[in-house]
Amino acid sequence: MVFWEMVFYLVAMVVYALAGGGLIYSFVFKNPRVVPKVTLLVAFGFMAQTIAIVARFNAIGHLPWSGHYEYALMGGWFIIAGTLFVGWQNKQLQCLAAGTVPLVLIMLGYGYMQNPALTPMAASLKTVWLYIHVYFAWLSFGAYSLAMAAGVVFLLKQKSEASAEPNPAYERFPSLGRLDELIFRYVVFGFITDTIMITAGGIWAKDLWGNYWAWDPVETWSLISWLTYGITIHLRVTFGWREKRLAWLAVAALSTVIICFFGVNLVVNTSLHVFQVR
Amino acid sequence: MFNKLLKKLSSLRFTILLICLLGLIFAIGLWVPQKRLLKTIYIEWQKNSPSLVAFLDALGLTTIYTSPITITLWLLFFLNLSLVLWQRWPIIKSRITLSNAKIADPATVGGYPFRNSYPLPGNLDGDTIIGLLRKNRYTVLGDASGFYGVKNRLAPIAFMLFHLSFFLILLGGMISIYTEFIGYIDLAQGESFQGELKRYNASPQPKMPEIGSPPSASFSVKSIVPRVVHNTPTGISVLLVDSRGKTHEVDINRPYSTDHTSFVFKHLGVAPLFVLKDASGREMERANFKLDVLRMKPDRFALSGYTFTATFYPDYVLEGGKRATRSMEFNNPMFFISVEQVGKKIADGLVPQNGVLEFAGYRLQLLDMPFWVRFYVVKQRGLSILYSGFAIAIIGVIWRLLFFRREIVGAVRDQDGVRCLVVAGRSEYYKNLAEDEFAKLFGDVLGN
Repeated sequence: MVFWEMVFYLVAMVVYALAGGGLIYSFVFKNPRVVPKVTLLVAFGFMAQTIAIVARFNAIGHLPWSGHYEYALMGGWFIIAGTLFVGWQNKQLQCLAAGTVPLVLIMLGYGYMQNPALTPMAASLKTVWLYIHVYFAWLSFGAYSLAMAAGVVFLLKQKSEASAEPNPAYERFPSLGRLDELIFRYVVFGFITDTIMITAGGIWAKDLWGNYWAWDPVETWSLISWLTYGITIHLRVTFGWREKRLAWLAVAALSTVIICFFGVNLVVNTSLHVFQVR
Repeated sequence: MFNKLLKKLSSLRFTILLICLLGLIFAIGLWVPQKRLLKTIYIEWQKNSPSLVAFLDALGLTTIYTSPITITLWLLFFLNLSLVLWQRWPIIKSRITLSNAKIADPATVGGYPFRNSYPLPGNLDGDTIIGLLRKNRYTVLGDASGFYGVKNRLAPIAFMLFHLSFFLILLGGMISIYTEFIGYIDLAQGESFQGELKRYNASPQPKMPEIGSPPSASFSVKSIVPRVVHNTPTGISVLLVDSRGKTHEVDINRPYSTDHTSFVFKHLGVAPLFVLKDASGREMERANFKLDVLRMKPDRFALSGYTFTATFYPDYVLEGGKRATRSMEFNNPMFFISVEQVGKKIADGLVPQNGVLEFAGYRLQLLDMPFWVRFYVVKQRGLSILYSGFAIAIIGVIWRLLFFRREIVGAVRDQDGVRCLVVAGRSEYYKNLAEDEFAKLFGDVLGN
């Protein structure tokens, strides 16, 4: 880690922690006016994170694409970028930060504990397929995270609306019907990018390892994750699973992606996807 | 009875059940060491828990990806997929067919949740509205008295395309499995290879194809140059010259491909040229040895009845009286060699390039220090079919899920003496979001 990277990485973490606190405050104390200010805070944290990425890029000469630390740094950036983008497009969706900011905060904390050392890009990563594979991986993770966040907001809002005294903080959020469709829309976006990611990974694997598919633990989990979201789409389109059931599915399905990115290497050391690549 | 079974086999519930079971099988495969994929771990585990492993072996859980249960599930999955596609095709055909029968009364038509009525400005007639809808990529049938419009009419075909791509992937996958040859070969700088089967490493044993022949490549290794920066291997350049004299560069991520065969770089080693001379300077023996020493583990070789154990230091340094390497860069390559005769150590010492180790009246000279590489050789056919399947899957999923159908029915009518455009609309997947889209569409069309 170079000095300015570390400074801005920590600034981003502190700012996201404050923003997360602000969002919890707005929900618990029924104060929806805080949300736009918190969104500004998230944007500030995002800028700090971007500077940290630029500082690292400056030091190593390539975008941070490999290793758990770099995955947390770059992946968190994609998730926050997605959150800010949808919040900028539709003010009602600023609330999605309630789901994504804590997730990114945990990712950054975890990444910091891993391997932030500066390393030249390993030979195995010097290919255009890295950018396609990893870029679409992060797009899908970002979209699935937004689906999870929309699911959480849906469940909270539905619970609030069913109570005798609905929390006014939720009035700023989109209607339940719209949230339900947004969950599906994010899942669809994630599924498409996930499909591209797996395909690009297969083609890359053929050149790098000699086989397009080797039942590697990360490959297998990514297939499980893809199937899980495929089932989610089928359940929604064919069986009409909507609202509460879809929201729970979006929340639960994200666990397969988290396991794929961070969990597999914790429990098995036989994966060719050595995220701690050197 | 048969119809009932067919109905069950073609149901989407069955599809979901099969996908869940396959997902479960894949998850089990991650936790239970697989015989083929994790041979060393499996053998170790078998030693420690023979009865448990025997039990899991009997259930096929240690070869789970090719076990009869998994193959049965895959067969059922593709049977289910075929039946679903067969049943869906007439529905898809009717959905994409354009017919005047689809023109309906927007005020009473069922299944169109979005309904609205817009007063028309004086200068806007029905034909202009239809023209504007066409500009918005709607295919429109009918006229101002009643019309039907559809955007992304052919989207349901993408459903077929996406699911048919699975069959291409299956076909490509099956061809690649049955025509697959896998072997490892170690080649040092200067060595030639003519495709001889006996040259492949004995362990792991080469896997011969069920259909077709082993690779028929022919080339020689011109040079091997590894690149290491700060302990990170940043690349390798292996130059091969084929039988026509053409040079090919192999690098990580860039295998040498010929005749459906890929030579993938897997491993690097040092292949030093040692010469053993007696006290009078007469050459006793000389040989290149492919030593696997780059992981800081010693390797052994034998010359004229002596056994030599060699440890390699790419960037040799003496640290606190101990031999070490500063980095994995080849800045100061050095061997530490210990000599044994009938199991008894008789000498040891450091040997740089062109250096000499003297022992028992002999001189072991290190003349050259080229490298050797291990290639993972894999020959497979059917990859173009497989990749076509991947491409079609991507096209299908994007087309089906992003370019979904929107349908509208409408008519220009007088309502309470005001000329109005009465419309009803529906969209696949989304109701609320489509309502916004329809409101915007008609706002744009009517110039509001």
